[in-house]
Amino acid sequence: MANTTTKSGAVMVIGGGIAGIQSALDLAEMGFYVYMVEKGPAIGGRMAQLDKTFPTNDCSICMISPKLNDVGGHINIEILTLTDVLSVKGSEGDFTVKLRKNPRYIDMSKCIACGECATKCPKKVSNYFNEGVDTRKAIYVEYAQAVPLKFSINAEECIYLTKGKCGNCKKVCPADAVNYEDKAEELSLKVGSVVVASGFDVFDPTVAETYRYSQWPNVITSMEYERILSASGPFQGHLVRPSDHKEPKKIAWLQCVGSRDVNRCDKRYCSAVCCMYAIKEAVISKEHASDLEASIFYMDIRTYGKDFEKYYNRAQDAGVRFVRSRVHTLTPTTDGNVILEYLDDLGERHSETFDLIVLSVGLTPRVNLPTLADSLGIDLNEEGFIQTQPLTPINSTRAGVFACGAVNEPKDIPTTVMEASAAAEAAGRVIAEAKGTMTKTRTYPPERDIKDEVPRIGVFICHCGINIASVINVEEVVNYCKDLPFVELCTNTLFACSADSLGKIKEAIIEHKLNRLVVASCTPRTHEPMFREALAQAGLNKYLFEMANIRDQDSWVHQKEPVKATQKAKDLVRGAVAKAALLEQMYQTKMGLTKEALVVGAGAAGLNSALSIAQLGYPVHLLERSDTLGGNGLKIFSREKDVRGYVANLVKEVESHPLIKIYKNSVPKTSHGFVGNFETKCQGPDGEFSISHGVTVLCPGGHAHTPKSYLYGENPKVLLSLDLDELLASNSPEIKKPGQTFAFIQCVESREPERPYCSKICCTHSIESALTILDRNPEATIYILARDVRSYGFREKLYQEARSRGVRFIKYCVDHKPEVVAGPNGRLQIKINDHILNRPLLIEADYLTLATGIDPTPMREEIVEVFKGQLSAEGFLFEAHMKLRPVDLATDGQYLAGLAHYPKPLEETIVQAKASAARVATILSKDHIMVGGVIAVVDPDKCAVCCTCVRACPVQVPKIVRNEKDPALRGHAFMEPAMCHGCGVCVSECPGKAIKFQFFTDEQLLAKVEALIVEKKAKPA
Amino acid sequence: MIICERKPIDELKSFIAGKKKVLLVGCRGCVTVCNAGGTKEVEILAALLRLDAQKDGNELTIDEFTLERQCDPEYVDELADLVAKQYDAILSMACSVGPQFLSRRYPKEKVYPSLNTCFIGGALAHGVWAEHCQACGNCIIHNFGGMCPVSRCSKSIMNGPCGGSSNGVCEISKEVECIWHLIASKYMDEGRLAEFAPLQPIKDWSKSRDGGPRKIVREELVK
Repeated sequence: MANTTTKSGAVMVIGGGIAGIQSALDLAEMGFYVYMVEKGPAIGGRMAQLDKTFPTNDCSICMISPKLNDVGGHINIEILTLTDVLSVKGSEGDFTVKLRKNPRYIDMSKCIACGECATKCPKKVSNYFNEGVDTRKAIYVEYAQAVPLKFSINAEECIYLTKGKCGNCKKVCPADAVNYEDKAEELSLKVGSVVVASGFDVFDPTVAETYRYSQWPNVITSMEYERILSASGPFQGHLVRPSDHKEPKKIAWLQCVGSRDVNRCDKRYCSAVCCMYAIKEAVISKEHASDLEASIFYMDIRTYGKDFEKYYNRAQDAGVRFVRSRVHTLTPTTDGNVILEYLDDLGERHSETFDLIVLSVGLTPRVNLPTLADSLGIDLNEEGFIQTQPLTPINSTRAGVFACGAVNEPKDIPTTVMEASAAAEAAGRVIAEAKGTMTKTRTYPPERDIKDEVPRIGVFICHCGINIASVINVEEVVNYCKDLPFVELCTNTLFACSADSLGKIKEAIIEHKLNRLVVASCTPRTHEPMFREALAQAGLNKYLFEMANIRDQDSWVHQKEPVKATQKAKDLVRGAVAKAALLEQMYQTKMGLTKEALVVGAGAAGLNSALSIAQLGYPVHLLERSDTLGGNGLKIFSREKDVRGYVANLVKEVESHPLIKIYKNSVPKTSHGFVGNFETKCQGPDGEFSISHGVTVLCPGGHAHTPKSYLYGENPKVLLSLDLDELLASNSPEIKKPGQTFAFIQCVESREPERPYCSKICCTHSIESALTILDRNPEATIYILARDVRSYGFREKLYQEARSRGVRFIKYCVDHKPEVVAGPNGRLQIKINDHILNRPLLIEADYLTLATGIDPTPMREEIVEVFKGQLSAEGFLFEAHMKLRPVDLATDGQYLAGLAHYPKPLEETIVQAKASAARVATILSKDHIMVGGVIAVVDPDKCAVCCTCVRACPVQVPKIVRNEKDPALRGHAFMEPAMCHGCGVCVSECPGKAIKFQFFTDEQLLAKVEALIVEKKAKPA
Repeated sequence: MIICERKPIDELKSFIAGKKKVLLVGCRGCVTVCNAGGTKEVEILAALLRLDAQKDGNELTIDEFTLERQCDPEYVDELADLVAKQYDAILSMACSVGPQFLSRRYPKEKVYPSLNTCFIGGALAHGVWAEHCQACGNCIIHNFGGMCPVSRCSKSIMNGPCGGSSNGVCEISKEVECIWHLIASKYMDEGRLAEFAPLQPIKDWSKSRDGGPRKIVREELVK
């Protein structure tokens, strides 16, 4: 099949931020070759710049850094940095892309990122990675964890390249990597599809003159503030303000700068992330200095995502002050402070002084997006983002070109990651038949069995140019290490990681019959995979390798004490050698897998997931508890899109797809196994049946909450949102009656202690319904009683339209909820305190619609019981990681989508479902899975069957199993190698010391520690 | 199982004060399962005592050994070779049966208990254990919805709850649930309160400690 297609099996991903990274990794694992085109010198994008991320307060760079290395080391991802897209010709499946690779002036194959060039470069320029808060040199790497970690020269700033003088960097470069003659070159690539993930720009508040951003140093943007908070930022994480480097005592965040503002900025939309990042910055700031006063000036607090509302509540408990007001005047004082003048809710004027003002700037389209869109031949929308449609949220206007992340609408990281996977699904699906035609695989010589050999250790000590050698006496370390136990060969190398040195390492392994290798250089975090690869190529098991970090942990931190640093280098190498002597061969074993998927639930999420998986070429078993497919989508009426038609069509496509088998009236009863090999028993109308599947997608859904308040169920005029949808869908004459008044109450039994989350969709849905009513009955009177109006992203435009067309929004707070009583003439009377007049208001309405939000499915307990998942306190399924793995469950090979994850609008459910298909394909595309390696292994004879590991494991892997040799004997704990994550928790908890952590055994680590501390010189006889 | 916890480190230090050679003996039975005296706990205690000796400049050698069980003579025999090395003290990390068996088998040795034997119970969660049995010798939990008032009621009363039960909690501490509240609730939930209502007869305590130290002899096993 593959060799007859005219389609290309490669995909171009534009942008190396978190969206591009996720897309590229998914595509590469799905069996496609990826060209990642990045405009800048390194990938990482905005996420690399952030300090912490909401709502988990995880360190942003710590989370993205492993992903950067995954991309950097992936055999099927080619990173093209400093590259622009010139044109994309052809059509879906067969595009010809022209690129321009701009000069780096550094030979990437030679640069070892020692930084000597930047030390000697005389030209200081504004450091854009730190948002201009400090300076860097004209030759630079953006940040320490950058991938590729190679320097580059900014041609406009470099003295040599602009004036022909200087040349310092070339002189000092120990690797001869500087090349001033480097020229731009044009490339041409064949790809089958394109993913655009080029991200966003931060709004430049200079144009919004009110804020005096360009005039006063202590008015800064939130992005600058992120860098200030960051430990790798301009002030090393010390919270000080730019003007005088004093610690601020009082900080104000001003929301919606460059968002929801047509007056000053021509930005109609909500930037969707600023409320949360401002709250996070306030919370983190208070962690830096507990007496700090943090105030957030806002219009509506939009904490609509999973766990966002709880985060908001916690911030209030922690003392962050929230003021509903748009600040109208800022005035400086002579000591660098800023006076804010503002009106509060009741119209009273206040004046307050702050040490630092942080502008919560919005997200805008990249300044070069129009040019890029031109090259790609795609349209932008009226806000300047890439044009997509609600029901095809990642499709651009050109077939085969897909867009994900903030490039098509401002959005947070989890939604971006979902979209990135969904874009991978779409980009892969259109070239599904070309899967595997462009990918490369590695082949290795047969492995030498060293089990019975005496250790013969080879030690390579790296100079790292002068990085190590300028501090540590490498020759002395080499001479010392020659005499360590079992060391057969010890030598120094200028750059252990250079291609030439790797070749020498391989030769040495063969020539000297080495059976263990130690490299003393930098960090295993970036370099271990490369050296392991060299071992494998030399026919040695890749786990027979150990590193000593004598750069980051020695020469860099002890620059002024070369003698002691040399001694420490000896100690570190001695420790590594001691461990290496005890290393054992370890094998990952190949396991077959069932290339079929089980999808549980056939609502919009399950249907989309099943259809996409089938379209990618894998059989699907679709389980539905009821006798109809479609779920909630069949009940929704939307002004913007034909939801019912869409779902009906989706059902038709699913029912007619040959690879999808549908089981109606069926529920899962028990499920066993692990990634690649699950077995699920189900109960259907004709009895029990069993399904073998390699992966599972859980889409059990949710439903509208049924309230006990506001006369619901007692008065026929009190409706739920879906009841009103039915009136609108059936074109009920009730809607068109003259003089009708419609009222909506938002957040009914939501965002309260019993149901503390925000359901995300209700504000927009009520506004849409209100607008539909006005479309049909322009004279209707409409009230929407809300706490915060959360029409995030482009939904804000609906909110604006509703206000401009006379929908009256009245804000209430949770302590003073509206009261509803049955009035005369069958009408309803709603009492509420008007927030502007501060007077009680009586509204007589013909219909009252309650926006009650979404409850998780009542089946949730059974679902987690069967599939061994976890539920959040609110009853939604727990994903593997809230930020970066929003589609994965903690158990490998299990995924989720739709309302069971968290309430979300249909377009996001579609995205998550398609994303689940991409994630599924990363597993099913393979012919086998590799298991084992660095994992925990139980010695059955030592196991006391105490269940400690069973209880301690964070991912529920250990089980007590029967003794296979003799069932009459006591059983023992067992960790399925395919499931163990290798975290080591069980190993440290086991009271019987019955669990071994491979590659980190007690013997190995104790030998290392002992050798580190105790000097043993004598070589054994 | 028998739930134990390690004695405070100061008490253990006082056992070995002035001693130079110590043997630490773990047990792979109950105390391994309740994370008090298995191989790992032996290693931890040995390391603690060594560090402490080093800190104070004392000379101290500690050997470690974990037996399958310390409550069976055959396993205790396995220590013979080690014990021959003449230790100044043997610290048993089993329930109190262990040090007693060690003392009897090796009468010349100074054997010390390293654990306090707390109760017969089970694990509620990792790191949490609760008492469930008092070994009264005459089990009657079937009369109480499968719950034991002997061990789990502060007063071991047979006809509860008493006046000290409030909101499901015992008057002695908010941490102690009232077992009688649970028993009564269970019967009420099942609509069987009437069935439960009759007074319980006076319990036969003769098989408990009231009859003195107990011993079981199974004739068919003793040959």
